[in-house]
Parts: sequence; structure tokens; C-alpha cells
Amino acid sequence: MEKQEIEPSSHLSVIIDLSPTQWHLASLQNNNELQPQSSQQVLTFRSFITQTLAFLNSHLALKHENTLAVYGALPGKSVLLYSPTVPKSETEDISADANSYLPFKVLDNAVTTRIGEELDALRDEDEEAPCDLVGALTKSLCYINKLLTSTPATLDATTPPPEPRIVIMSVSPDQSASYIPLMNSIFSAQKLKVTIDVCKVFGPDAVFLQQAAYLTGGAYIYLERRDALLQHLMMTFLPPPSIRRLLVVPTQDKVDFRAACFCHKTIVDIGFVCSVCLSSTSPSKSVQFVSQKLMAYLLQFVQFSVNLSQSVQPVGTSIFLW
Amino acid sequence: MPPRKNDDYMEVASDDSLPSDVDEVYNGKSKGKGKGKATERKTREKGKSKNNEQPYAWEASYVRSWDTVQEDEAGSLQGAVEDLIARNRRRRLLAPSTAIRRTIIRHLVLVLDLSSSMMDRDMRPTRFDLMLEYARSFISEWFDQNPLGQIGIVGMRSGIAERIGEMSGNPQDVLKTISERHKLEPAGDPSLQNAVEMARGSMSHLPTHSSREIIIIFGSLTTVDPGNIHDTLDACVKDRIRIAVVALAAEMKICRDLCDKTGGSFGVALNDGHFKDLLFELIPPPAQRAVSRAAGAGAGTSNPTADLMMMGFPTRLPNTSAPALCVCHSDLKSEGFLCPRCSAKLCDVPTDCDICGLMIVSSPHLARSYHHLFPVKPYSAVVDGAKVSPSNACTGCSSSFSKSSASSTITDGVSPFGRYKCPDCKNDFCTDCDVFVHDVVHCCPGCGK
Ligand SMILES: [Zn+2]
Ligand SMILES: [Zn+2]
Ligand SMILES: [Zn+2]
Ligand SMILES: [Zn+2]
Repeated sequence: MEKQEIEPSSHLSVIIDLSPTQWHLASLQNNNELQPQSSQQVLTFRSFITQTLAFLNSHLALKHENTLAVYGALPGKSVLLYSPTVPKSETEDISADANSYLPFKVLDNAVTTRIGEELDALRDEDEEAPCDLVGALTKSLCYINKLLTSTPATLDATTPPPEPRIVIMSVSPDQSASYIPLMNSIFSAQKLKVTIDVCKVFGPDAVFLQQAAYLTGGAYIYLERRDALLQHLMMTFLPPPSIRRLLVVPTQDKVDFRAACFCHKTIVDIGFVCSVCLSSTSPSKSVQFVSQKLMAYLLQFVQFSVNLSQSVQPVGTSIFLW
Repeated sequence: MPPRKNDDYMEVASDDSLPSDVDEVYNGKSKGKGKGKATERKTREKGKSKNNEQPYAWEASYVRSWDTVQEDEAGSLQGAVEDLIARNRRRRLLAPSTAIRRTIIRHLVLVLDLSSSMMDRDMRPTRFDLMLEYARSFISEWFDQNPLGQIGIVGMRSGIAERIGEMSGNPQDVLKTISERHKLEPAGDPSLQNAVEMARGSMSHLPTHSSREIIIIFGSLTTVDPGNIHDTLDACVKDRIRIAVVALAAEMKICRDLCDKTGGSFGVALNDGHFKDLLFELIPPPAQRAVSRAAGAGAGTSNPTADLMMMGFPTRLPNTSAPALCVCHSDLKSEGFLCPRCSAKLCDVPTDCDICGLMIVSSPHLARSYHHLFPVKPYSAVVDGAKVSPSNACTGCSSSFSKSSASSTITDGVSPFGRYKCPDCKNDFCTDCDVFVHDVVHCCPGCGK
């Protein structure tokens, strides 16, 4: 084994949740209600962007071949904020600056100006709409798919394909409407061997994103000290997955895989599931109709033992020897 | 050409015909027998397109794989690649875009022919090796699309049926049973009846809501049966078992009957690629057949909406919890899942609890089956230059579109601009993203549906 594998370069797609409502809430209150003993700093959006950009720059600095794409999830839509392939807009002036490394500057400029443009373009009534996280996620998967399929042709065979991963910076709560598309994205990420990492900056734990990180082998971090964002990012999300095997990265102990019943939205242990979804073959009926049918028939979880809710401790009870 | 025995069983075209005649006979026959089922139509069409290029594998002269791909005048492979893409697109357009009823819980017995005829070299390296290779990829892909399904494996060797793998919902377990090639070394004659009986027996206990399927990969032209195979066939019809056969040699009357009477599909593999196509077409969950259901003997199952299954959602134990023995392997482990009904500790889900028999699934497994119910609408190819959307880049991967029309020849279903439009959100996508969105993601990046 004298032939050492060339370390693959790594591709990072970052999805930033840009919900104005949630960021506003985040700047007003800190997490004091969760940890009353620790007085914390309030993380403003500005300092969040600064710290994130520092993280992105260090990803680029880590290896020359590393690539980066930044997506923003805005209310009702998702946009690509930065990628090396997208032609830069002519308004940007990229003059050489003796004090900054050019790729960093290009990235910082692109991200900040694009975020500014997109937020300015938002109308007030749009701001309440839920963020299109799924759109951003599927777009980044399409991008990674293109990257993986096109790379072998351009590079020589000795260069391994880049290691792709996605980091989601989330502030919004889960939206139950996007559960199925989100799950579809997670499964395609599994197929492409893309690791999804989640950094929950603000708000309650996102169960869907916890599942996303668990199913793709990524890390889910709930930011307990929000002033330590950069440190969390550097320690947890900077090393690519192949290196993380050698490090101790926070893992999740409790991921809830129990399903919520579709009729009462309560978590059930044992339920009834319709074996076949009833839906219409007539094209005149819309998908909406089908999904109502689905609500009604497919997942009629009858609550059996809702209050059974077992806490995770029994040792003796789980041993069965026959 | 392989030696042929038992000519009375064969219904295939005689050898003296030219390849084009074989085409006609093959197609004509399936047309006559086809009952308008979507799957059969697809098979036929694919068979036709392949047929036009190549005769049966054993009739062809030695084919080098690089010969089958044709360069165009300019010496590029673009044309050939586009052809492939166009064929895939057409196939997708044929599929119904609206949701149809499909079986989500599937039980399948894969019957492998391990008779000596599998050592024929008309498919390289041998039929046997090729079958094993395709069976492995078939199993992985099948579990990927049917996470709640279970597969058992039965082999036909020396006149008897051998149980190679028990019904299991764990892809790793199933793959392990066929991983050791030397244990499956082909010998003797196959017995269809024994194999079908064994498969039927292993599925007899299943509840009515799950599908029961048998897929037979059959390379021989004979079967050595202890009794009347038509009795077995009748029993399968009664049990509502669907049998599909992928034949490697030629069409046999009894195989055709098994499929026709039970509602499965039958195909003769023309060559390696066609073999794989035939096998992989059996992966998507079959649409539910209302007719056969009403005709079925099941008592009180005429109302399909009443089919509710009891399922348990387990509690996951973290790997920091105190170790305990699992009920499935009696291994001492920390991580695992707890059965919500009896608190037994299980290694992996989905599975049936070994203690109380409750079906244990996790919510992602349920979610994984949804995309069969809500397929993404097929994108329409942008043919008219005026209908090109203003954006310069693909909505999915953000790679920019080429300005001019790339291909001069207008192929059916292929956009000369390389743009494909989502009917809902009216965004344009590139070819790669079109394929990726429909085959893998099942969710449009533009509208999230
Ligand atoms: Zn076990
Ligand atoms: Zn149990
Ligand atoms: Zn694209
Ligand atoms: Zn769309």
C-alpha cells in the first residue's frame, strides 16, 4: 500500500435560512428562557454573516481545489448566492486589494451584495411566508449531481471526485407541509452520498432536520451559546466527512423517529397505516384532492398507547432470552 | 447456439428465420397476447427498439461493447448519448403522471435458476455470473424503492427447490445469502413446480394487504416437475400471487401461462442490457388491480380502504445507553430500537418484532414510499424558441444554457435548446437536472412539488 490515496477535494454547499421574521425575533430575544443561568450575547444578523463568511473562507483556504456554493432560503423562494460557475454581475468591482486574498473578497462581496439585493426585493406581505428550504436543498443537490457527473470527464482519472456535503444554517421552525419533499431530498442525498449537517442557530429544535442529519450521517448542532457560532462551525463542520471519522464530532443521541398521526398531530407508538393509498386516476382531480384523501385514508393513525411514551432507560426489561 | 431439447415446449420462432423475421414473430406474438397492460406495452416497445438493432444474443456475431455505440459524422458520441436520453424521456412520458394506486407493502420471492443451463456463455461471462450480478443490483435497488418490502430467495437446482434466503426486510441480509458464488454453483435440471410451491408456501401466512410476488429468472428450456404444474398455477391464482418470469433462453408455454394467468409480466432477454431492463422494470411497485381483487377469494376484503395495518414506531436507543441483548441475534449492544408493544430490543428497522410480531417501521421508511404516490410531473421539452424562459441558467444546477440550439436533428421529446420546462412553475431545467429530478429527487426544485 505504498500508493497513498490522493485526498479528495471537498465541495461544500451552504444553505442560509434568511427568514426576516425569525432573524428579527432572534435579535430581540436570546436563548435565556432555555438556559436562564447563562447570560448570553444576542447574535445579530450582521455578526452571523461575518462569522459565516469567516467559516466559508477557511473552507476555501483549507485546500486549493475545494469548491463552494452558497444558497439562500427566502420566504417563498430560494436563490443561489454564490457559486464559482455563475458569472459575476458587472456591478461588482473586484479591484485587487493588498490586504485581502482575492477569492475571499469575491466570495464576501458576492454573498453580502446578493443577500442585500434579495432582502430589499422582498415586499412586506411576503415576509411571513415560510422559507423555501426544500427548494434550496434540491437546488444544491442538482448542483452536486452536476458536479459529480461532470467531473470525471474533465479531470484525469487519478483525481478522486470531490467529497460533497451540505451545511444548513436554520432559524425557521419545521413546516409540516414540506415533510414529504424534504424526505425525498434526504433520500436523494443518501443516494449521492452527500452528508447533510445542520446548525440550528435560533428557535426550537427542528425534528425534520435532525432526521436529515441522522439519515445522511451528518451532525446536528443546536447552538447553545450563540456568540460561539464561529467556533462551533470551525470545530464541527469544517473537516470533511472522511476526516471526521478520526475526530469526535457531536452526534445526536435522541432522534425521534415516531410518526405523528395525521388526524390529531400527536406522536404515536403504535398506529394503523393504510396499506394502499387511495387516489384517483382521473386527471381532472388535482393533487390537492389526492393529498386530502391521503390525510383521510393513508395515515389514519389510531392512538393506541399515546401516553406509553417510554423514556430511554430500561435495561432489564429489554432483555429477552428464549 | 445452445443445444435445444424438448422442442414441444417451445413457442419461439424457428432458427432458420433471419433476425428481422424473429422481430416480427416476437412482436406479433406479444401483441396478440398483450392485454393492454402498461408494463407489457413498455416491455414490448423496448424490445422492439432493441430488436431493430440486434438479433438474439446467441445469434449475434461477437459484439464488442464499443461497437454498439455509433459515432456521428463529426466523430462525437453526442448523438448516441442523446438517443439514450430521448428514449428514457419517452418512457417517462408514457407513464401516467397522475397518482395511481400502488402496493406499498411488498413481499417478493426471487427464484434463481441454478441448473446447468446457466453455465451457457451466450451472455458474458456466463448466464450464471451475469444473473448473480444483476440480482445483487436488483435487490439493492428494490429495497431502495420499496423500503417496507421483504425479499426471499429460492434456487432451482438438481430437480429440487432450495431455500437460499429466508424472507427478510434487511438488504444486507438478503445480499449476504447470494454473496457466496461457490455455494450456488449450478447443477442438474430446474424444477419450476417445486420452486413455485416453495415460494408459495413461504408467503402463505402473509396478510391480505401485502402483495405476493414471485420473480423467476429462468435460463433453462425444460422443467422437471413431480406433479402437474397447472395445479400449482391454479393455487397461485387462488392465493393472488403474481408471477413474473425473465427468460434467458427462449419463450416456454408454461412460463407464459404462469405470467398471463397471475397478472405478471413475461419477457425473453435478447441480450445483457435487455436482461437488465426486464429485471429492473419489475422494481417499481405494481399498480393495484381492482379487477383481480374483486375476483380474488379473500373474504371481506372487497373494500380496499379498510385495509389498515397495525404498525409500531420504535424508540431509538442511543449508543450511550446501557448494553442489552437484542432479540434478533442475541448480541450485546447499546444501540437499537425498542418495540413499542413488548419493549423487546431490535437491531434494525423495518422488521417484524420477533417477540410479538408487530410490524416495526420508522417514519422515514413510510415517507420513502410516498414518491410512488406523487410522481413529479414530466417536464415538457422546449421546442419553440419563443417559449424559452428569460432566465439564462438552469433552475436546478444554475449552469448556463447554451444560446444556440445544440442539435440540428429534432428528436422526439428532446429540446433543441436543452431546456425542459416544469408545467407547474414554468422554470427551465437542463437535461441532467430533468433526469435527476425525476429519477432521484422526486421533487421539483422550482415549485417543491
Ligand atoms: Zn439483533
Ligand atoms: Zn414486540
Ligand atoms: Zn441543471
Ligand atoms: Zn416545478
